[in-house]
Amino acid sequence: MSTESRSRAARLTGRRVRQGATVASASLLLSAALTGCAGSGKAGTDAIQASGSTTVAPVASDAAEALKAKGLNITVATQGGSAGGISQLGTGQINIALSSKPLSEKDQKAYPDTDFVTTQIGADAVGVIITKEVADGGVKGLTKAQVAGLFEGKITNWKEVGGPDLQVFVYDKEPGRGTREVLDKFIYGKGEPPAPPKSANYAIVGGNLETRNKLKSTRGSIAPLSTGFIDGHPELVAVPLEGVAPTLANVASGKYPMTRPLFMITNGKPKGTVKQYIDYILSPEGQKLLPQHGYLTREQMGL
Amino acid sequence: MGLTLERPTQAPGPAVPRPSPGSGRGSRARWVWGWAYSGILSVMLTLTVLLGYLVTGIASGTVDWTALLTSSTWSPGNLAFGGLAMIYGSAVVCVLALVLAVPVGWAAAVALSEYLPPRLARPLRLSIELLAAVPSIVYGLIGIMVIRPFVADLGDVPGGDSLLAAGIVLAVMIMPTIVAVSVDALAAVPGRYREAAYSLGLTRREVVRSAVLPQARPGMRAGVLLGLARALGEAIAVFMVIGRADDRLPESLGDVFSFLVRPGQTLTTKLAGPEPMLAGTSGPYFAALCGLGIILLTLVAVATVWGTRGSTGRAVRAPRARRSSAWLRTPKDRLTTAVRLGALLLPGALLVGMLGILLARGGAALNPVFWFTPSEGASGGGIRDQIVGTLLLLATTALIALPLGYGAGIVIGTRASAKTARVLETLTVAVGGTPTILLGLAGYVLFCTTMGWGRSWLAGAVVLVPVVIPVVALTTAGRIRSMPAEITEAALALGLTSSQYVRSVVIPYTWPATLTGLLLGLARAAGETAPLIFTATVFFGAPALPTGIVNAPVQALPTHIFTLSQDSGAPEAIAQAWGSALVLVLITAGLLSLAVFLRNRFEGARRWTT
Repeated sequence: MSTESRSRAARLTGRRVRQGATVASASLLLSAALTGCAGSGKAGTDAIQASGSTTVAPVASDAAEALKAKGLNITVATQGGSAGGISQLGTGQINIALSSKPLSEKDQKAYPDTDFVTTQIGADAVGVIITKEVADGGVKGLTKAQVAGLFEGKITNWKEVGGPDLQVFVYDKEPGRGTREVLDKFIYGKGEPPAPPKSANYAIVGGNLETRNKLKSTRGSIAPLSTGFIDGHPELVAVPLEGVAPTLANVASGKYPMTRPLFMITNGKPKGTVKQYIDYILSPEGQKLLPQHGYLTREQMGL
Repeated sequence: MGLTLERPTQAPGPAVPRPSPGSGRGSRARWVWGWAYSGILSVMLTLTVLLGYLVTGIASGTVDWTALLTSSTWSPGNLAFGGLAMIYGSAVVCVLALVLAVPVGWAAAVALSEYLPPRLARPLRLSIELLAAVPSIVYGLIGIMVIRPFVADLGDVPGGDSLLAAGIVLAVMIMPTIVAVSVDALAAVPGRYREAAYSLGLTRREVVRSAVLPQARPGMRAGVLLGLARALGEAIAVFMVIGRADDRLPESLGDVFSFLVRPGQTLTTKLAGPEPMLAGTSGPYFAALCGLGIILLTLVAVATVWGTRGSTGRAVRAPRARRSSAWLRTPKDRLTTAVRLGALLLPGALLVGMLGILLARGGAALNPVFWFTPSEGASGGGIRDQIVGTLLLLATTALIALPLGYGAGIVIGTRASAKTARVLETLTVAVGGTPTILLGLAGYVLFCTTMGWGRSWLAGAVVLVPVVIPVVALTTAGRIRSMPAEITEAALALGLTSSQYVRSVVIPYTWPATLTGLLLGLARAAGETAPLIFTATVFFGAPALPTGIVNAPVQALPTHIFTLSQDSGAPEAIAQAWGSALVLVLITAGLLSLAVFLRNRFEGARRWTT
């Protein structure tokens, strides 16, 4: 009934020509409104723009906060993780790329005009994390082959590696995450990792916090995760690899195989305010920020 | 006689003498159609920009469409791009969400509108709109806490990351939308239909079934469509509970059920993951991702066409004569009452549970200092700047989206023929169903790179506009459709031009519904994370109020929560994330209650026909 009256209304009052003119003027109005805004912008502020890894961002923000008093204006964003930061630096959109993975040859090739200069500000140990139930059940350490078997879905029950009779549930990190690259490097060296297994007990996780939550709530789970994130969580255990536990001493001496550096990357040597900012993070005062977020200082790494 | 009753075919044209222009209501109101068509054009412009972005992407590398649609192997390393498993995942998750949410949502809407006294119904309706205000990232966090363990117990599977968990989270998310829009549709049914039905001696169940529902059905269906569009486009919440495992496809029909409790992948979670960043901006990888975007848009369009199919035809057809038995009329009536009121309990329980979790976790937000101090470093201090930034983005979005969405709704509701209306409606829902991650990426390319704005708050607001417009437009159009025909007839009989009809009849009648739409749309926009990260916000260091447009980022609550909840190890960061979530919910709740209060007053005053 309502449709009927509507079409009747249209028929009674519709005048095609005027309609066309109205549409035209409306489109003109809309496009004018949209393009009009663009011209009114003014030149950007002189803030230093840092962007990239979500792992480094908290440290970068705390340092920026400390420098605010000295009149330095720094914005920190986390778009696209380490890889995103590097690509934005390559296209000249930002001043500093935050990265939790070393610069690869691929990155350099993608942006031949950019002179990438990396400054290591600290380090992060990645652990293979299992639940306390499994560790107590007998899994006191894993070999490289065992870790590979677990993440490739070939080992599906913890009793195959000396643990309790419990199904393995694998949480792997998203592709491109620094953590996953560290694990792949440990297992496969320079080789290409195989496609993920199609098992029912395999899922992908993103951020570190999400990983920790899921590890804690899944029986028999295993995942790669920064060891700083399991401090104060007794239900999770960083299992020793090849007999080496991720203790501070082992990480600093390089005996523990899964350590990753944390970087600030600039185009050319840092200058002016950018240098001031990076120097602050390298100073004793700035280095104190790293342990606060679960990472290792340069000193601990022997740098 | 018959000499005055016949209207000239051209009437009311300029030849007919009319009241002098310029005197308020008597004026021609020519602006109406320019404004209304701007609205509908903005919808088309959004789609054009999106399609342009995706088509350019596809053109940058060859896409093997057959593989994309029929193969389930996704392995960028080997240049194998098969999307079937993701299409399957999206379909299953949405069907699950609808199967769970629609019956409960409709029953709750009927209970709210037809069973409860207004004194009780109004606060309840407000609470349900509050549920729509909870940002999707909070649904995701709560999904991890509550729904995953539930699925793990139910299916006896470790973890609980699964298609089923994603379906349940989506069902919870879209239910408020379905209820709110359906209640609007039911409230628009004139009371005289009910009175007539009751006076025939029908029970309440029979009144609802034979007198109210046939009138309200188009509006209620619009609610489901909005819900479906939201389910198809939602990324962040699904992202956290689906497990994101590629290449999972049941091989036989029997496997379908066991695969429900297994990890999977949808089109949106693939696009919201890190891969668009890793794929660069050209080449086969990027082209394949853009292909997925096109498939997603097509699915939204197909679902919409399928959902709106026949709705116009059915509205004209006379109601089917039902032979309902008189057997057990009263018990049946009582049973239905119990079921409907029971259905209402579910959203209520959800709200209470969610608020409980938020209060328990985000206690920091209860301290006013937290609201009014700027943040310090990564996770210290308060969140003043984030609050200001969010409000700025929302206000700007509302200013742009309200006129455009209202205009689009008016065109869809009044002007177009039935066929055109359906096409326009489909386009509008397609815009609403666009995954916001795509809007963000397209906005990033258009504003931030091509137009050189850098990170800009205005770009963020503009990217949020397409989220709000469809909701405003569809609720407005739904309300216009449910306008009693005699109002339209009376207006035309008085010789009003179509623009005058819109200005003096349609707008006064529909604006409360439009306001609901705007609020629901803003509630959704407030929680959007993905588009802002690319275009408008930084995590730290932006001034509370930007001073220009180019390179003028802000900080906003959803992106703040997102960044904190992803990777911060410090306990105070988690406290701040939950505190920010509670603040975001409270702000939206405050705005909603204020507006709903206003709307209730005016809707009461504007009861035209009862």
